[in-house]
Amino acid sequence: MAAVERLSFDALVVGGGIAGIEAAINLGDNGLRVLLVEKDLTLGGKMIMLSKVFPTLDCAACITTPKISEVARHPNVTIFTNTEVKSIQKQDMHYFKASLVRHPRYVDESACTGCQLCEEACPAVVPDQYQYDLVGRKAAYIPFSIASPRVATIDMDHCVLCGACERVCPPQCIDFTQEPAECQIIMKTVIVATGLQLFDPARIERFRSGHAKNVITAMQMERLLAPTRPYNHVLRPGDGKAPDKIAYVLCVGSRDRTVGNPICSQICCMYSIKQAQLLMGALPMADVTIYYINIRSYGKGFEEFYEQAKGMGVNFVKGKVGQITEKENGNLVLRYEDIRSGRLKEAEHDLVVLSVGSLADPDASGFFTDGRWEQDEFHFPRQKDLFFNPALSSIKGVFLAGTTSCPMDIPDTILSAGAASMEAIRYIKQSALGI
Amino acid sequence: MARPDLKFGKKLKKYGAVDFNACYNCGTCTAVCALASETDSFPREMVRYSVLGLDEEIKGSLKPWLCYYCGECSTYCPQEAQPGELMMSLRRYLISRYDWTGLSGLLCRSLAAYAAAFLAVVAGLMGLFFFSGWGQKEWMHYGHLFEMAAIGGVFAFILLPNIVRMWYFTVWKRKKTLRMKTYLLALPELLLHMFTQKRTLSCNDERDNTLWWFEHLVLVLGYLGLLFATVFLDWFASTHPVVVAAGYVLSAVVFVVTFDFVIRRIRKRSEKSVFSHPSDWFFVIWLFLMGISAFGVRLLVDLGALAGHFWLYLLHLTVLVQWALIIVPFGKWTHFLYRSFAMYFDRIVKMESPAA
Repeated sequence: MAAVERLSFDALVVGGGIAGIEAAINLGDNGLRVLLVEKDLTLGGKMIMLSKVFPTLDCAACITTPKISEVARHPNVTIFTNTEVKSIQKQDMHYFKASLVRHPRYVDESACTGCQLCEEACPAVVPDQYQYDLVGRKAAYIPFSIASPRVATIDMDHCVLCGACERVCPPQCIDFTQEPAECQIIMKTVIVATGLQLFDPARIERFRSGHAKNVITAMQMERLLAPTRPYNHVLRPGDGKAPDKIAYVLCVGSRDRTVGNPICSQICCMYSIKQAQLLMGALPMADVTIYYINIRSYGKGFEEFYEQAKGMGVNFVKGKVGQITEKENGNLVLRYEDIRSGRLKEAEHDLVVLSVGSLADPDASGFFTDGRWEQDEFHFPRQKDLFFNPALSSIKGVFLAGTTSCPMDIPDTILSAGAASMEAIRYIKQSALGI
Repeated sequence: MARPDLKFGKKLKKYGAVDFNACYNCGTCTAVCALASETDSFPREMVRYSVLGLDEEIKGSLKPWLCYYCGECSTYCPQEAQPGELMMSLRRYLISRYDWTGLSGLLCRSLAAYAAAFLAVVAGLMGLFFFSGWGQKEWMHYGHLFEMAAIGGVFAFILLPNIVRMWYFTVWKRKKTLRMKTYLLALPELLLHMFTQKRTLSCNDERDNTLWWFEHLVLVLGYLGLLFATVFLDWFASTHPVVVAAGYVLSAVVFVVTFDFVIRRIRKRSEKSVFSHPSDWFFVIWLFLMGISAFGVRLLVDLGALAGHFWLYLLHLTVLVQWALIIVPFGKWTHFLYRSFAMYFDRIVKMESPAA
């Protein structure tokens, strides 16, 4: 490892999703020098992957990119992507010390022009995590067209070291000798915006996720519906057939004590209803059925959005699916109790979308090594003052933004990031005054 | 119009029900149940009835008997509302509802009543021992007479009227049919399920479930065989080598299998052995004691040592009297009849219903 780099900032924002971006802009606009750290190759988090947002049906990418471009060009904000936070410790009354590892891209970021010639030349193909494994990508790649920074990376886990990218790169910016660099940061306050983790449906064996090819997750459906979608059409992954009987299974991994997550994830009902509406547009002949326990359309305009879906012809069936069986032709048979009639029923669908719930991201608790970080019973960071100061964590000077502290939708995430920024600014001012 | 009875849940808890009020009506239990079908959807329906306290609906339903407790519903219930154990406690509740004497319910609800009944038997036999002046011969003679009298009496005065009541609640109240043809055509169902318990096999496909079914089947046949050998062939007094040998085998089957069942309930490895109601413990333990004490008595007879160890016969008789007067008419033993009659009655009701 090279010599340890030492830097100091007013604030460290951990997580470059929409909450972290919003918080960084808020702090930067108020004159604070901010370091925004993202472990992924690009900013944007989960929001930039989405097709559209509920209940306005705005294009997610189109409203995320201006924010990203704002934070990327912000004079007070420094951004480290592909960087991992190893630890954060309170150094003294007014300062925190963080240790970061900047992972190598094996590409000189400042020189890369994003021409994608390396991508064309690279012979190694692996599943594309940014398309949720629906298609492949190369080992030399740019995550997606609106990535920020839009620079190439060599995926060393899959690179075959053939040197093809090196030979075609016009600015000669590929550098296989790069190594992880450690970096020590001193700052006054921390905002944790690590976000949530989607439930892995393979944990529920009877839903056949990972076994039956036409059982996909809601995030995969987001990709199928997004403007930058992989097949440029909604197709089922098993055989490329355009589906015409699509089922949504709600509460997969949420409101379920058997997987240790008894709480409602707050977003799945609405994103499923949104996707159903988009599917009605994308596949006008398709039947869409949503199997639910209760529809929780609790926000402004949400109930109307739900009614609108019903009006468009989305079929809502009360009853949680208990079992999914794959047929030889790739279709799926769903076994459920139709709660309205009280009868056990089976229905055949050609594509099943599992509306997975959200869990706490374990990363959020991993940084704080001095034992003062507390969690609630659902493994989310404990909110010290849930009612009057929801952004406060159990450590003074560390604030929580967005879905780090509990599941929430995008508008609430923005509000939460605002609250966290405000608390961080107040904290810095008060400690400067010695309060 | 159904009227909810909010106290019903508390009552049901005494029959062993746990946490069923946590149900949020998602239907996962029904959807994962291998025995549920479009015409017989359970357990959620029974959970709903129990939460609302719809006693009439529960009393008239055969669904608790259609469940053979593989426990998948409890494994997958997102609310951990234990629907499997609810079905089990509904079976205990139904046993008490079918029983015209009301003693089943009393014993099931109160461990003290159970203990008192057992102690009363002990006291009665001790009284007889001290005041009758009977010798070994009289004891064994009257003991054998008791067996025959108990079988006849319990069947005529308790079990038969209770089965008629069960029929009244579950068939007559719903279908009002007495067509002989239906009753005859459905009859094979009764015998099939009484002697094979084959529904257990469709429960789920786990190996342990098949093993459990096999052990249970062996136990049922062993128990019935032992009953026949001791009561009608007078095993203890018999000199016929086949009868003697068969008695040893059958009593050994009974205590070996019940020993395993007790171990299962202690280990709690499968859903069906996680919760044990006092009536479950009494059932398996007494059956075990009966098998092992019968084995021992006959062994003493063959060794010519019974006179010196006559206490063992008295112990066996005590267990037997408790079994025959308490557990058979009012305890878990009755599931042998109700389970198979439920399949029979269910077939009758379905045959009388217009084709769905």
